[in-house]
Amino acid sequence: MPEPHPTRTAPPPRRPAEAAVSAVALTKTYGRGDAAVTALDAVDVTFDRAAFTAIMGPSGSGKSTLMHCLAGLDTATSGQVFLGGTALTALRDRELTVLRRDRIGFVFQSFNLLPVLDAQENVLLPLQLAGRRPDEQWLRDVVARLGLGDRLHHRPHELSGGQQQRVAVARALLPRPDVVFADEPTGNLDSRSGAEVLGLLRGSVREFGQTVVMVTHDPVAASYADRVVLLADGRVAGEISAPTTDDVVDALRTLGV
Amino acid sequence: MLTTTLAQVRAHAGRVLASCLAIVIAVGFVVATLCLNASSRASVLDAVGAQYRGSAVVLSETGDRAEGAPDPLAAAATAVAALPGVRATALDRTTPVQLRLPGRSGSSFAVATGLADDPGLRWQRVSAGRLPTGPDEIAVSERTGAGVGTVVTLTPEDLGEVDAVPPAPREVRVVGVVDLRGDPRAGVTGQVFASDADLTTWGAATADLLRVAAAPGADVAALRDAVTAAVPAAEVLTGDEAAAQAAAAFTGDAANLTSVLLVFGAVAVLVAALVIANTFAVLVAQRTRELALLRCVGATSGQVARSVLAEAAVVGVLASAAGVGAGVGLAAAVSALVSRTTSPIPLGAVVVPASAVAVGLVLGTAVTVLAALAPARGATRVAPLAALRPVQPPPVRSRAGALRLALGLVVLVPSAVALVVLSRAGMLTAAVGAGALSFLGVLLLARRLVPAAVSVAGLLVRPLGGVPARLAQGNALRNPRRTAATATALLIGVTLTSAMVVGAASTRATATQALVAGYPTDVVVEGADAVPTDVQGRIAAVPGVAGTSPVTTGEVSGPRETTAGAQGVEASAAGVVRSQQRSPLPRDGEAVLSVSAADTFGVADGGTLPLTGSAGTQELRVRVAPDSEQFLVLTAADLRRLDGAAAVTVVWVRLADAGDRAQERAVDAVTDVVTDSLPSSSVSGVVAERSSYDQLLRTFLLVVTGLLGVAVVIALLGVGNTLALSVVERRQESGLLRALGLTRGQLRAQLAWEALLVAGVAAVLGVVLGSGYGLAGTAAVLSAEAPVVLALPWAQLAGIVAVAAGAGVLASVLPARRAARTSPVAAIAG
Ligand SMILES: Nc1ncnc2c1ncn2[C@@H]1O[C@H](COP(=O)(O)OP(=O)(O)OP(=O)(O)O)[C@@H](O)[C@H]1O
Ligand SMILES: [Mg+2]
Repeated sequence: MPEPHPTRTAPPPRRPAEAAVSAVALTKTYGRGDAAVTALDAVDVTFDRAAFTAIMGPSGSGKSTLMHCLAGLDTATSGQVFLGGTALTALRDRELTVLRRDRIGFVFQSFNLLPVLDAQENVLLPLQLAGRRPDEQWLRDVVARLGLGDRLHHRPHELSGGQQQRVAVARALLPRPDVVFADEPTGNLDSRSGAEVLGLLRGSVREFGQTVVMVTHDPVAASYADRVVLLADGRVAGEISAPTTDDVVDALRTLGV
Repeated sequence: MLTTTLAQVRAHAGRVLASCLAIVIAVGFVVATLCLNASSRASVLDAVGAQYRGSAVVLSETGDRAEGAPDPLAAAATAVAALPGVRATALDRTTPVQLRLPGRSGSSFAVATGLADDPGLRWQRVSAGRLPTGPDEIAVSERTGAGVGTVVTLTPEDLGEVDAVPPAPREVRVVGVVDLRGDPRAGVTGQVFASDADLTTWGAATADLLRVAAAPGADVAALRDAVTAAVPAAEVLTGDEAAAQAAAAFTGDAANLTSVLLVFGAVAVLVAALVIANTFAVLVAQRTRELALLRCVGATSGQVARSVLAEAAVVGVLASAAGVGAGVGLAAAVSALVSRTTSPIPLGAVVVPASAVAVGLVLGTAVTVLAALAPARGATRVAPLAALRPVQPPPVRSRAGALRLALGLVVLVPSAVALVVLSRAGMLTAAVGAGALSFLGVLLLARRLVPAAVSVAGLLVRPLGGVPARLAQGNALRNPRRTAATATALLIGVTLTSAMVVGAASTRATATQALVAGYPTDVVVEGADAVPTDVQGRIAAVPGVAGTSPVTTGEVSGPRETTAGAQGVEASAAGVVRSQQRSPLPRDGEAVLSVSAADTFGVADGGTLPLTGSAGTQELRVRVAPDSEQFLVLTAADLRRLDGAAAVTVVWVRLADAGDRAQERAVDAVTDVVTDSLPSSSVSGVVAERSSYDQLLRTFLLVVTGLLGVAVVIALLGVGNTLALSVVERRQESGLLRALGLTRGQLRAQLAWEALLVAGVAAVLGVVLGSGYGLAGTAAVLSAEAPVVLALPWAQLAGIVAVAAGAGVLASVLPARRAARTSPVAAIAG
């Protein structure tokens, strides 16, 4: 398997880090009494603006839970989440929904696209939900990067898994959200399709200053990020800046994966 | 496999609930109809057959009897009484009488019947007082209106027998009231019961019936045979046979009503079957992976199909049982309601025949299992591999689909043409056949037609509904079969309802047209003498009167020395009459003659008619109006030139078109004006006739719509059910949409739009089809009677569309709430 990313480029100089998203003493408990599972245990974590951050950790360490809470998809048991200056924990369902629509982009591991809409309609969906018109130039840029060519009007089941994920990335990028959250976006893809998706995500950070937070199990995928946050048993267990594949593998090994 | 099946039923109880309800309603409807029929039969048998209670054998006379011959039944009575096993006999005599109650000026007709001497053969039950014991005592039925203790004047009717003494009125005392409740005849004429001796006195010389009571322990059949042998000239029946025969004569009407109700029941069952078939198709589709997994672990396709059918059978049995219960309850409610009103069909206690229960159970279960056949067959086609692949809905453009399309067109096109031709020719039976066939064609085509219509409708609503509407369109089209089946169920009910509505409107228009042609004037005021100008003015000033025209009448004589009355009309009449179709108005110098007038004068159309009156002579052009009932009509000016004494004795009045009530009020007001100033005049109008006709149609329409409503409700349940099942299926999607920023409201709106698209398309298609059938039906039924006027009641049709589509949206509320509850996380987690 060829190394998709042989030469490591140093991160470009950045402005002083501002927090795009942060969690303060974030705790999430599932169930009650004896059956209670603490998925997140007083997590304090900050994600820089215009940075590509990967979250890693053993299965069951709370990665998805953290991401869901950060993205306003799920409510925390205690603690706080800030998106820029907005405290998500204070918002009601409707406000959270609108916030997700306007300020957050999502890429999931699977089932990202609505089967009844074609690729382009899927890309435009969040903007249409918000009743906004897309910036034509921006739309052309994003679509050009998709590499879908003439398949823009195909339905999801007519696209390959990699193509579907790229459409999902484009959908997440188009409204220029404050943060794009991606939960194992390459989990179902072969390494080449995965590299394309990761390239798209990193390109958006480098070129447009997009903030991206990605959960992954794959050290190669993590090496695309500027920083890796390690989770274990619902706590932050360390972090790596400018990670290489080997750094990540080593770090995970110490966590017992 | 049975345990798997039961587990399935339990696990999916919620999902099959709506189709259960569909069966419950349809079965309930049929069972209630059957129970009510049995109940009314039992009530009639009880009441009409009351007369034969206690009689083992009944003899009646057969054939004609020679004049003056002795009463054969009286002779038979002696012979029968001597037979072994006979305890007593009674000769029933009846005779018509006139009753006059104290304080009433007129008398009323009643039938007097003699009482048996033997108490066992007295079937009459008194609700007050007692039965007569002596002469000039009577018991009466309620209809006579006489109470216990009243002394009434009874006059036996003169039967016109030779050398009979003319009957004299006599005072008789009412000692009891006989309870005839439930007997449909009881309301028609009053009945009087008196001793046999009195009946003979009142002129009932011969008996109509000989009733025989059996000794204790005697065999009825043997007794009947013995009696038949002893009296060969009489018709001999057992008491039960006689009761059944009498009741049958009265339940003919009820049987008709039952079959009409059962037709509606059949429609409801058909619609329920569609809903059930769709539910099972969806369940099988949703379970594809599960079924494939079963196949992977070694279940044969037969076992898979049987498990689906067994599930249907369990659901069918449970729902049918509930339906039988519901039906019996409904029948009880209806008979309780009816027994409080005066109804032409008597209903006593509810009878639940075993056959109704059996029919309900078998029908419900069979329909459910049959409806599940196709889905079960679909289940057998699930490949074991499907467990590993994402599920794709089957394409519409399959080979079976093409066959269906071709078959649909082959059935629809010729039968639709035939329907138009046959109904215009007024061939009702053939037209009904063609109509049914063409509807079958429509149902076959629905699978193509409905999705196409939904996608067009979707394009129309997208600008209104934004993203939710766009998603709804996509969702409604992703399973074209499911959508088509859901819409078809609704289509049936809506088509039939709109056909009825259009048919009623066209019938009304046709009847109105016929009435207008026959009676072109709304109100005719006819004075015995001249109607003074000021009275004419007061009539014209009545609110609700749109115009009046005075009609001059006079006398003229013409050829063949005929003198005749003539009417002279003013020019203003043209604006007052509603139709000149039958009775055209003359121009100056013209005489309009009826056919009989033309015959009388010996003139023909286009000829000249010389007329002479007290003031002069004139030659008029003849115009013969073949359908006119007016003998001779001239212009008023011509008539005055002929008859110097001609005067306005008639006023024609046209009413404003302001609804029946307002028109009736206007007629009353005109009548008041006229009776005030001209007591001997008369006012006649067709308004009352028109409105009573309307009332009849309205009632008919209300009842039919109510009955079809059952089918529509079942179909709407189907809409809700399909949506609910789809919501379960689209849990992940709903979650994704919520994650991407679709608000709960928008998610609910999406389902409402989907329901609106499906129900709206079904409603619009149904109304269009139904209008066609309604128009064709009216033409077929009425074209023999009158020139048919077709009418489309736009407001009512729009109302049907609005109600069906609105109810569809309402049916989406529960599924939508469920969808909106989906947490974005749970959905993404899968
Ligand atoms: N809905 C839930 N109910 C109960 N427990 C849950 C639920 N979701 C997650 N958990 C538990 O919370 C913990 C963290 O789960 P989470 O899904 O965040 O892990 P993860 O790090 O994403 O794992 P993976 O790498 O396997 O995706 C696990 O122990 C899991 O069992
Ligand atoms: Mg996870």
